[in-house]
Amino acid sequence: MIEIRGLTKLYGSVIGVNDITVDLAAGAHGLLGPNGAGKTTFLGLVTGQLRPTMGSVRVFGERPFGNPRVLRRIGFCPAADLGDRTATPLQWVTYLTRLSGFTAASAATRAARVLEEVGLTDAARRPLVTLSKGMRQRAKLAGAMAHDPDLLVLDEPFIGLDPVARHHLVELVRAWAETRSLIVASHLLHEVEALDAGLAVILGGRLVASGTAAEIRGLAESLPAEVRVRCDAPRHFAAIACETPGVEAVRLEGDAVVVVVTRHPAAVIEQAVPRAAHEGVGVRELVPADRSLEGVFGSLVRLHRGVKA
Amino acid sequence: MTDPLTDDRTSTSPLLAAIAGAWTVAGFQLRRLLTRPRLAMAAVGALFPAAVIVAADRASRGRLEGDPTVGMLYALIPEAVCMLGLLVTMCPAVADELERGTWVHLAVRPGGRRALLIGTYLAAVVWTSVVALVATVLALAVARVEDPWAVGRMLAALVLVSCVGRAALFAVPAVIMPKRALVASVGVALVVEYLAGFIPAIVNQATVSLRLRSLLVPWMGWDRKLPIEMQLLIDPQPPWVQLLAVGILAVVLLTAAVVILDRRQFPPSDEI
Repeated sequence: MIEIRGLTKLYGSVIGVNDITVDLAAGAHGLLGPNGAGKTTFLGLVTGQLRPTMGSVRVFGERPFGNPRVLRRIGFCPAADLGDRTATPLQWVTYLTRLSGFTAASAATRAARVLEEVGLTDAARRPLVTLSKGMRQRAKLAGAMAHDPDLLVLDEPFIGLDPVARHHLVELVRAWAETRSLIVASHLLHEVEALDAGLAVILGGRLVASGTAAEIRGLAESLPAEVRVRCDAPRHFAAIACETPGVEAVRLEGDAVVVVVTRHPAAVIEQAVPRAAHEGVGVRELVPADRSLEGVFGSLVRLHRGVKA
Repeated sequence: MTDPLTDDRTSTSPLLAAIAGAWTVAGFQLRRLLTRPRLAMAAVGALFPAAVIVAADRASRGRLEGDPTVGMLYALIPEAVCMLGLLVTMCPAVADELERGTWVHLAVRPGGRRALLIGTYLAAVVWTSVVALVATVLALAVARVEDPWAVGRMLAALVLVSCVGRAALFAVPAVIMPKRALVASVGVALVVEYLAGFIPAIVNQATVSLRLRSLLVPWMGWDRKLPIEMQLLIDPQPPWVQLLAVGILAVVLLTAAVVILDRRQFPPSDEI
C-alpha cells in the first residue's frame, strides 16, 4: 500500500524526517513518537501535502503530492483543532465531501450518516464554536471518513476526548480497520496498542523500529534494561551485580539505590539478589525493567537521545 | 461506513470536477462572509462614497455636479471601494485557511488547492461587486449627475471589470506570501496599478487601471475634450479590446496563482 525509500524532508536546515525506508502493507499501522519526532511531517508526505526533499513515497503505487487519483482514496484527520467556528459539523463535513467529488445531495447524506457514526448527530447543526474540543475532534474525523477512503490517516486523533468518547472512537476506528487501511500517529502508546495495529516508532525524524507489537517486544529483549535495587549496602550490592553474568553497567543513585543495566534482568533477580541476601545485604525494594511496550518506547526514546539505558 | 456509495461522485472529468469544486468553495466562502463584523464592514464600504459625495458637495457649497461628480464616483467606487473590498476578501485566501487550521483539510482533497483559489476568487468578486453596486446606488442617490441611470450602468460595468481584474491580481501575492499577502497586495496596488498604470508605455498595458480609464473616458464622451497630454494616459482601442485585455490578464494571473499554489508546501508549523 505504501512504499517509502530513503525518504527525507528538510525545512531549510531543519530535518523533518530523515532517510526513512519502510513498506506498509494494507491494514492498521500505528506511528509512535514523542512530540516533534517527525510524525506529522511523515503523514504530510504520505497524504500528499508535502514533497520529499530526497527519496520517494508511493501510496497505492503512485506519488501522492498533487495526485487526485491518490488523494481521492485518502482520508486525513489532522491534529490541529478546527478553526472554522461559524460552520456547523454538518456544513463542514458536507463541504469537504463535496470537494472529494460528490454531489451536494450525496455529500449531505454521507455527512449525516458519518456524523451519526461518530456520535455527533445531536450537535450536527450547532456551530463548531459552541462544541467542545472533543466534539470538534469527532467532526474532523467525520470529515476524513465521509468519502469512504481506502486509507484513513489520523494524526493524534484522541486528543481532547473524554474516556467514553475515546473508547467509542477506538471501537469505531478499529471497526474501520477491519476492512480498510489505517495509519494512526500518536505520542501515547496505549492509544495505538488499543487499535491492534502494527507499530512504527519514529524519533528525531528517523524510523527506529517497526513491526508488530510482539516484534517490538522482541526488540526489548535486545535492548539493555534497568533494574533498580534499593538496599542498605549499595556498594556491596554493586560489587555483586558486577560479577553477575549479562550485567553491562552499574551505577549508584543517592545513598541507597543501585541501578543495574543488563540485557538479562532475570539474572539479577535470580542470582545477584539471593547472593546479596546470603552476604547480609538487606534488599528493601527491587523494581524490575519495564518490558511493556511503553517501557520499550521509553528505552528507544532514551537511546535516541543519547541517554544510556 | 459499511455501505459505501461508490457511484455518486459528480464527475471524473477534471474540468467538471474543478468547476464543481470552485463552486462549492465559493458558496462556503460567501457564507463565511455573512458574519456581523463582515457585514458591518461591507455597510461602511457601501456608505463611504455617498458620505464623501455629501461632504464634498457641502464643502463646495452645492456646486459639485456633472463631470467632476462622475470623476469622483469613479475614484471612489471602481477604484477605492473595489480595491479595499478585494484586499480583505482575496488577499487572505490561503492565510485564512492556514490560520483556521483548515488548509490541510482542503490540500488533501483532489483538486482542493485549485478549488480553494478559484472559489475564493469567485466569492471575492461576487462579494465586492455587490458591496460596490450598493455603494453606486447610494452614491447616485445623493449625487447630482445628468443621467443617473446611464452613469449607474457605466459604474456597474467598471465595478465588474475592476473586481474581475484586481481579484486576479491579488491572487498572486495571496499564494506567494500568504502571511504577508495584505501588505504585498497594497504594494502591488500602489506600484502596479497606480505607478506603472500611469506610465505611458508598454508597462501600463498590463494594468487594470489603464483599462478602467480607457473605458470610462469614451463611455462618458470625454475623449473628444481630453487634453492631448491626458490622452497619453488612456488606450484609444475600443471598449471590447479593453474588456478582452482585462479578461486575458485575469486568466493569466489566475493561472499563475494556481500553478504556484499547486506547488506550495506549508510545513506543519505554518498552521495555527
